[in-house]
Amino acid sequence: MSKLMVNVPLNRVEGDLEIRAEIVDGRVSEAWACGTLYRGFERILVGRAALDGLVITPRICGICTTAHLTAAARALDAIAGTAPPASAVAIRNVALMAEHIQSDLRHTFLMFAADLVNPAYAGEPLFEEAMRRYEPFRGETAIETIRETKKLVELLTIVGGQWPHSSFIVPGGLVSVSSPGDLLQCRLLLRRFRQWYQSRILGCAIERWAEVRSTADLDRWLEESEAHRNGDLGFCLRFMRATGLDQIGRGTGSFLSFGSLDLPGGTAVRAPAGGGQFVPAGFLAPGGGVSEFHEEKVTEHVACSWFQDDEEARHPMRGETRPYATGQESAKYSWAKAPRYEGSPAETGPLAEALIAGNPLFSDLVRGQGPNVLVRQLARLARPAELMPAMETWLSEAAQDPTFYKTPGEITEGEGVGLIHATRGALGHWVRIEQGTISHYQIVTPTAWNASPRDGGGAPGPIEQALAGTPVRDAANPVELGHVVRSFDPCLVCTVHALQRGRSAGRVIVGAL
Amino acid sequence: MKRIVCIGNRYRPEDDAGPRVYSLLRGSALPDGVEAIDGGMSGLDLLASVERAERVVFVDCVSGFGRAGEVLVLDPEEVATAASPRYDHAAGLPYLLRVLPAVCDGPAPEVIIVGIEGRADGAAVAAAAELALKLARGEPVRGGAQ
Repeated sequence: MSKLMVNVPLNRVEGDLEIRAEIVDGRVSEAWACGTLYRGFERILVGRAALDGLVITPRICGICTTAHLTAAARALDAIAGTAPPASAVAIRNVALMAEHIQSDLRHTFLMFAADLVNPAYAGEPLFEEAMRRYEPFRGETAIETIRETKKLVELLTIVGGQWPHSSFIVPGGLVSVSSPGDLLQCRLLLRRFRQWYQSRILGCAIERWAEVRSTADLDRWLEESEAHRNGDLGFCLRFMRATGLDQIGRGTGSFLSFGSLDLPGGTAVRAPAGGGQFVPAGFLAPGGGVSEFHEEKVTEHVACSWFQDDEEARHPMRGETRPYATGQESAKYSWAKAPRYEGSPAETGPLAEALIAGNPLFSDLVRGQGPNVLVRQLARLARPAELMPAMETWLSEAAQDPTFYKTPGEITEGEGVGLIHATRGALGHWVRIEQGTISHYQIVTPTAWNASPRDGGGAPGPIEQALAGTPVRDAANPVELGHVVRSFDPCLVCTVHALQRGRSAGRVIVGAL
Repeated sequence: MKRIVCIGNRYRPEDDAGPRVYSLLRGSALPDGVEAIDGGMSGLDLLASVERAERVVFVDCVSGFGRAGEVLVLDPEEVATAASPRYDHAAGLPYLLRVLPAVCDGPAPEVIIVGIEGRADGAAVAAAAELALKLARGEPVRGGAQ
């Protein structure tokens, strides 16, 4: 028996997530996901004015910035008991969706696909073509992705004034009023982006892609035309199948969505799964059906996290953030807490979103092969096709009614929860206001769910479970582990970024969960 | 148009030099044709601030380039070589500079980088603001450092 411990330097993946994996006879036997830096936003927020979360929490992340703003505003909406006007709901949605799409494509083609041109695949028949598309700094798709996704950032700056770190969403609606001309410009940007996505990524119209409702449909679609095979979705699908990425990265098999994108009053958009949200909330247990989501079933454990607590698990409204670094001598090994739903770890993200909404293609893919790297990444790459038609409708509808704000009154007392499905999955802000001041703030991020350490019962988190059993051909180049981790698109963010001579990252990074 | 793009995190003392330079510039009358931009912590997303400019002066704190408190002019090509081949959420100025010629709408601008070594005191911030203004206007500066 050969036994090897590998430290995977996942600051190559994202910020300050480190993965340790024990490899026995060429296969991962156990893995540990370690968040390496403490941030403490929850403590920063306590004692500040009620609305300060709208300015501070978007700075938790430079990528999921609108997501945090939306969650913060929804928590305050709940405390104020206010319902924003329909146009405000529509524009909030559009902003969040634009953030999802630019992130989904940048992640796929600038981060995930960079592993497809790893030297480990040099012998693959599709390798040369993958290099032409995805080689860092020059691959055709990589460069086009940067050029095209900036249209979405432009859209965000039109409706939000700036991106990232905007504070245009407030309790009661929006503080920026987009004119019909602004919204027309947004529609044009979105239309141009959609044209590129259809021709370059799908190789077909979104309407044709929507007809792909099973694994058999997918295979037929792939064979139907050169355009389908050679669009980047088709190419990635072929490459991932050829390299066995549909065989690794199973995970917990349980999926969670907090729900997102409220349908504005009077909208023509219909939620794919019915109900009042375009992205439904729900929990999918391994091998079971989707059950209704209950916010009170969320808890956080800190048994293996560098936090101190005298209780095994707490609901976030009772949660505490008391840093307690023990070094390596105890069971604690991460600055991430361990969120649990009904006491169990759960995967979240685009695949969870698709499965809980009952998307027939992804349900069939998972039924056939179980969750894996391929299906997780495919869900991310196909998500823009779900979102863009609704975005177009909401931009048109918002242009008809310029009411973007309804005063919520002064927010002085109360508890509220802001839950959404952010780009990477379930995001929640739990907030208590007393005498106009924040007395409690707990944030549970998607990456805390996915990159969670073990809990009080010793259950590993989703990434840790997904890594277990992964074959590693070359421990010196464990590209398989990178695929598994990146398929979750973990986000541990930057707050400090001094240019450093001789450092490849060019930044000092303070990680975040 | 010439732009001075100030980068950094005003909540972190070791990274707040850029935002402080921005505040100083915003508090003074800028010459015609010169614009100051708070670039925050953006990297690739500064692209829109760079496009269609004739010259861009980035102002950022740096580490390992000089003495503490020193204000320097950095070589953009050297900074670009520091880019990680994998874009990530920490991909900052090096990544932007590396891909700029390929992704910029219109001609890529002339790029100049003003670095402030380490934690910046008030004098370093003032010197960096003055240097950035001179460079934006195209005035010669002595030896590339102050």
